[in-house]
Amino acid sequence: MTEQYIELHAASAFTFLQAASDPEDLIERAAELEMPAMALLDHNGVYGSARFHTSAQRNKIRAHIGAEVSVTSFGSRLTPPAWLPHQYSQSPARLPLLCASREGYQNLCQLITQFKMRESTKGDGAANIADLNQYARGLICLTGGDDGPLAAALVRGGEAAGRETVERLVQLFGKENVYVELQRHQEREEEWRNQAALRIARTLNLPIVATNGVRYATAYDREVHDLFTAIRNHVELDHAGRLLSLNGQRHLRSAREMAALFRDIPDALSNTLELSSRLKFELSDLGYEFPRYPVPDGKTMESFLRKRVAEGVQRRYGSRNRDLLERAKKQVERELVLIAKLGFEGYFLIVWDIIQFCKQNDILVQGRGSAANSAVCYSLEITAVDPVGMDLLFERFLSESRNEWPDIDLDLPSEDKREQAIQYVYRRYGELGAAMTANVITYRGKSAAREVGKALGFDEDTLGRLSSLVGQWEWRGSTDTMAHSFQHAGFDTRHPRIAKYLELSMRIQKLPRHLGQHSGGMVICQGQLNHVVPLERASMPGRTVVQWDKEDCADLGIIKVDLLGLGMMAVLKDCLELIPQHYGDRADLAQLPEDEEVYRTLQKADTVGMFQVESRAQMASLPRNYPKRFYDLVVQVAIIRPGPIVGQMMHPYMRRRQNKEAVTYPHPSLKPVLERTLGVPLFQEQLLRIAMTVANFTGAEADELRRAVGMRRSWERMKNLEGKLRAGMAANGIDAATQDTIVQNISSFALYGFPESHAASFALLAYASAYFKVKYLAAFTAAILNNQPMGFYAPAVLVKDAQRHGLRVKPIDIQISDWQCAVEHEPDGSLSVRLGLGYVKGLSRSNSEAITAERIKNGPFRFAEDLALRVPSLSRRELTKLAQIGALNQLDGIRHRRDALWQIERAGKPEGPLLQQHSEWLRNADEVPPLAQMNVEERLVADYAGTGLTVGKHPMFYRRAELRRQNILSAVELHLYKHGQFVRAAGCIIARQRPGTAKGFIFMSMEDETGIANVIVTPDLYERDRLVVTRSKFLLVEGPLQNQDNVIHIKATRLTALSDAALELKSHDFH
Amino acid sequence: MKEHYACVCIKEFPAQSMLRLRPELRNCACVVMKGDPPLEQVCSLNRKARLLGLVPGMTKVEVETFEQITMLKRTAAEEAAAGEALLACAGGFSPRVEECSVNGMFLCVIDVAGTEKLFGPAEVLAHKLLSELQRLGFIACIAVSSQFHAAIIAARGLLANNPVTVIPAGMEKETLAALPLSVLDLTPDQAETFSLWGIRTLGALADLPLKGLIARLGQAGKCMHELAHGTRSHLFQSVEPAFSLSEHMEFDSPIEMLDALLFVVNTMLEQLILRATARVFALASVTITLKLEGGTTHVRTVRPALPSIDRLLWLKLLHLDLDAHTPQAAILAATVTAEPGSTSKVQLGLFSPQLPEPSRLDVTLARISAIVGEENAGCAVLNDTHAPDAFRIEPFQVLSTHSKAVPSVTVRPATRLIRPAENMSVTIQDSKPESFFFRDRKYTVERAYGPWLSSGDWWNPSLWGYEQWDLVAYTQAGAMLCCSAVRDILRNDWQMAALYD
Repeated sequence: MTEQYIELHAASAFTFLQAASDPEDLIERAAELEMPAMALLDHNGVYGSARFHTSAQRNKIRAHIGAEVSVTSFGSRLTPPAWLPHQYSQSPARLPLLCASREGYQNLCQLITQFKMRESTKGDGAANIADLNQYARGLICLTGGDDGPLAAALVRGGEAAGRETVERLVQLFGKENVYVELQRHQEREEEWRNQAALRIARTLNLPIVATNGVRYATAYDREVHDLFTAIRNHVELDHAGRLLSLNGQRHLRSAREMAALFRDIPDALSNTLELSSRLKFELSDLGYEFPRYPVPDGKTMESFLRKRVAEGVQRRYGSRNRDLLERAKKQVERELVLIAKLGFEGYFLIVWDIIQFCKQNDILVQGRGSAANSAVCYSLEITAVDPVGMDLLFERFLSESRNEWPDIDLDLPSEDKREQAIQYVYRRYGELGAAMTANVITYRGKSAAREVGKALGFDEDTLGRLSSLVGQWEWRGSTDTMAHSFQHAGFDTRHPRIAKYLELSMRIQKLPRHLGQHSGGMVICQGQLNHVVPLERASMPGRTVVQWDKEDCADLGIIKVDLLGLGMMAVLKDCLELIPQHYGDRADLAQLPEDEEVYRTLQKADTVGMFQVESRAQMASLPRNYPKRFYDLVVQVAIIRPGPIVGQMMHPYMRRRQNKEAVTYPHPSLKPVLERTLGVPLFQEQLLRIAMTVANFTGAEADELRRAVGMRRSWERMKNLEGKLRAGMAANGIDAATQDTIVQNISSFALYGFPESHAASFALLAYASAYFKVKYLAAFTAAILNNQPMGFYAPAVLVKDAQRHGLRVKPIDIQISDWQCAVEHEPDGSLSVRLGLGYVKGLSRSNSEAITAERIKNGPFRFAEDLALRVPSLSRRELTKLAQIGALNQLDGIRHRRDALWQIERAGKPEGPLLQQHSEWLRNADEVPPLAQMNVEERLVADYAGTGLTVGKHPMFYRRAELRRQNILSAVELHLYKHGQFVRAAGCIIARQRPGTAKGFIFMSMEDETGIANVIVTPDLYERDRLVVTRSKFLLVEGPLQNQDNVIHIKATRLTALSDAALELKSHDFH
Repeated sequence: MKEHYACVCIKEFPAQSMLRLRPELRNCACVVMKGDPPLEQVCSLNRKARLLGLVPGMTKVEVETFEQITMLKRTAAEEAAAGEALLACAGGFSPRVEECSVNGMFLCVIDVAGTEKLFGPAEVLAHKLLSELQRLGFIACIAVSSQFHAAIIAARGLLANNPVTVIPAGMEKETLAALPLSVLDLTPDQAETFSLWGIRTLGALADLPLKGLIARLGQAGKCMHELAHGTRSHLFQSVEPAFSLSEHMEFDSPIEMLDALLFVVNTMLEQLILRATARVFALASVTITLKLEGGTTHVRTVRPALPSIDRLLWLKLLHLDLDAHTPQAAILAATVTAEPGSTSKVQLGLFSPQLPEPSRLDVTLARISAIVGEENAGCAVLNDTHAPDAFRIEPFQVLSTHSKAVPSVTVRPATRLIRPAENMSVTIQDSKPESFFFRDRKYTVERAYGPWLSSGDWWNPSLWGYEQWDLVAYTQAGAMLCCSAVRDILRNDWQMAALYD
């Protein structure tokens, strides 16, 4: 007879740092061992269960779900005896529980939630007997391995105590739901416990079951397990001693191996099959109920939604042309029918409710993503793009066949406002009704290298050096391996210990380390989220988090709303406040006029600071695309993406746009679909329409096709759909060659495609940011400086750009500046921006506010001592910083920055309480400042060191004469040269990028006082001059000029670092 | 008498101290590495290496990217020897020498006041000193000044191409003015403050108003101001010969008998104890170094639990130790050195129980150690590891508190561990022992329990792995043996570890 065995006690790496394999790896190994089912019992949670379940389904294995729950009432977990030296700390015994039914699963979730929420902070927590009593139904309990209650009792009080513990479990779970567990890891101590357990099982007449207490998939992974043990206990492997496992036998074992181990107790094996057959619950049977929205008496959710939508249609379309209104009504009706059919009214109402809250509380909010395809969403003011007017495709958002929730993402201004909205959702749906989705923090290059290094006993300095070198570019060449980073950090990878270090660092990549919370994903349930998934406290006070991440929730069909923070929303919000205040104009995002000047600016790619169109690649393509109307901007936002670039859509589109290539269509029938993108498919919606047009797919089928292409693993499904697609096309008389083109278009594109609706939502924000920047530069600059970090460029670049556009930016002044940057009115009627104290590096917000409060209360500060005396919380370091950047120059008796530094050095050391009242006496007003004034270069260094930017002249300005003598050009002068001419230019590097699509080329933006120049670095040059490329702040670039369609680049053939006079300029490096 | 000081400054001291004994390397680029493999770093380097672009802090792999670099390992002993040689050389010019080395730089100041008649004027003296140092193999800088600190600062600021300066009296401030602030040992905070103030040279520092400086930097400000002016006073602390307890004796004829040696050693110990007691010290340890025929030496150290001045006790301990470790040839000379320790006093209470004298216990322990070997005498302590038989021997210690935990006593089957484990040959069938030879007898295994597996240290070259079997076996004659056999998995050899009663 072939042996059969099912592993019923395995933990994945989601038992954080106590087990070493991903759930998928466990399943794959189980599949190799032909195990028909397997159970996952992670510690105090079901963190890995969603991934375990999904992967098991793929491999046709039954996934049993359970957890190993800490229980305080069963004493402490087994530790080595006191006479042996060891470093174990006490922790409660762990009870393995398996879910037999949905009720069992719900009870397990509630049980875990109950004790997790009892903790006031994020922590392990432990259940007690009362909890178990309350939630025991539907759960089957094992007596556990060496972490379990039986082992603990046997060692503590011998067989009598062991029997008592098992009897207690029988009382709690019922006789038929307790299995005495046997594990054999070929350890001596374990075997006597097994023999005792066997006798107890016999006397109590309980079934026995064999498990292997699995901690990793294969025996080799024991190393990772030991490594994790060391990391978890903050010890080096060399000193971990008995904390480490005695041997490497806790891997997933085949039925044959298990049969050999349990030859003397065959029942133990056959019982695993029997027990597995009793476990009816699987995660697909979650019993999740989507939330209902509380409607007024006498209304149903459907009627309530219809009413709200009808009002919205009138509001949105009523004043516009009649035809559009009719079309909108028709579309809305079609959508409402589908929504009702799928039962999603509650979801739409919940999102509508959040929007209402935001509107009432003055929070700018806008939906993005595929929701913008829906006229219902537009009517409910969830989105701002009119899908009817823009002829967007609803099926991309919602289709009947798709077994998942519609996805609505809301963009909110970051920080406070977003938190307000999140807290509102918590309040509205209760502590057990809403929670954040989790974010699994996994080991990455740097964290892996650091923690493995610590465990292997490397010192801090070395580790710091290494982690600063682990490459983080998006594109990785053959030399960008971890091994290379190790060599660059000065490690000898031939040394066995270093080789092991490198190997382990690579092996733990992507294994979970701990659980964080997702920045904005919220799941909402009808007050009973804890029936679906356990909830626990997040480290942030007032937040709860579910044990699954966003993808897991989506896989299991749990509804979620993403409340995302978007810096640009905050900028726009600030602009909307500043514009009426300082310009007297009323600005309304929904009604920004189409403006010639704005489009001209976009056409020139003069877009620093503008949402989505400011990146180097966007700037390089804007003059080619030459946007003249809003839809061009929609295309612009979507086209500089990996999808269109990899799918080779970008260049054909641009050529057609410039009339360099004729507009053609793969098939005449596709003209209406592809006309607006000049015959080049760019959007996911077009893909759907193509399938619908050429192969007569329904909207739902077309969406299934998109999703099948999107999921790399579903080749089989893709093949079926492709067959269907080709059959459809053949039926429509499309020849084989055209069919191939169309299939190629679909498959190359769908992988990375971008929804048109999403592009439209972003284009709206892009246009608004461009409009504000062009029309209200002072307000826009103040707003964007107040919402850093965001976008592509550092504040220094934003300030220089604003100055080039004629804005006066004024330095920080202790007598005027607040925390925020502010718009000021100049005597000549123009507007300027005053930098805020927030830009002083190292000045705390509370102290900045203390300065402002004191200034408002008692008037301007008189002299340095006055400031130190009136704002005593200011430290010497903070005063120095203020003096260094010239913020104290307006105080009496201060002649220049060095004078301020000299004075505050004394003011920072008060005389003591007695003399303090009369510190004015001690001030020697006539004292000649002994320090020389800073020179220009020193002032620049101080500005950059103290604020990260300068409002004075650009550093390159001071070198211009010298550069000119050497025939080195400025950014603006490059425009005078022809394509192919050899040029030399120099500047300050403000951005470096190595895009995944550019085959290792690096693009750099280089700024000087006249503007920004672009530099292309070939992979060869990068290899030769790695340090110059990545580290230098000021560069001299030599090479031929590329001028294509007014897009100018220097293709560097030689790079030289210019001495940077200790300027700490920051570039944004994009990875 | 007018003060006069000469300061010797030797930069890159670790590198120079090594290269002085390796003249063949002086024309090569050399770096000195500190730290243990694989984490060595450059700590010092010569000019040639610096010109190639090497800098302190580079790792071995980074250094290897340069061609033709000689890497040397830093040794404290060579630096100490070099330092002694330098002090000795300095001592040849004046008995008053003060060492004030800072990290990686050797500095010493010689009080040369009144030496003009011997060595000539300051300039001449400095050059003589320089050539003496060059003879020793050092590249040095020398500054002479009537001001102690000015001499140090000036010496630190000198470059190898102009290694000598003499500061005329009263011109200290002017001479030092051009030097950068890095010649002072500033704290990072002070360095930052001066950099913010734009003060980069000693001249600029000297020009700051003293009152203002003190108000801002306190006494440290005053000190720096005085240093910059060359007016800071100093209390000269000349290097004193270290207090050492050492006696040396060369024998007229080689000694072979231990008794004869001890006779001499007795006198030497007497002298040492006398010198130690004069400073209210006792002897903490005594090392005897015997120079033997054939050029070898024989060194033994005795260290009782408490320092003692009991000569007879020391003699007894040395006797026992030398008895256990007899020199292998006739003795030509003996050196006895002792480490001083504080005298021990034990306050005995009237009613406290009489304890054996510690010195007697020491003698007993020394006797045991002489028999079983030092590594086998002491207290066995288990190591925190799963590795089998992992324990270490620690010296006996008097515990200040007694552990209250009473180890639980559980009844275990009696096991006779075989020390050391004996080899055996085993025949395997179906991955289980089937029969084995042990002590020339063949046993057939009737029952085998196991294998019990253990392994560890996989990240180290010392990784280990064992499987253990509990066997019930019989000889042909029917004699039963219950035993525990262990197989070393890495070497695949079997050993008998224990027998069960």
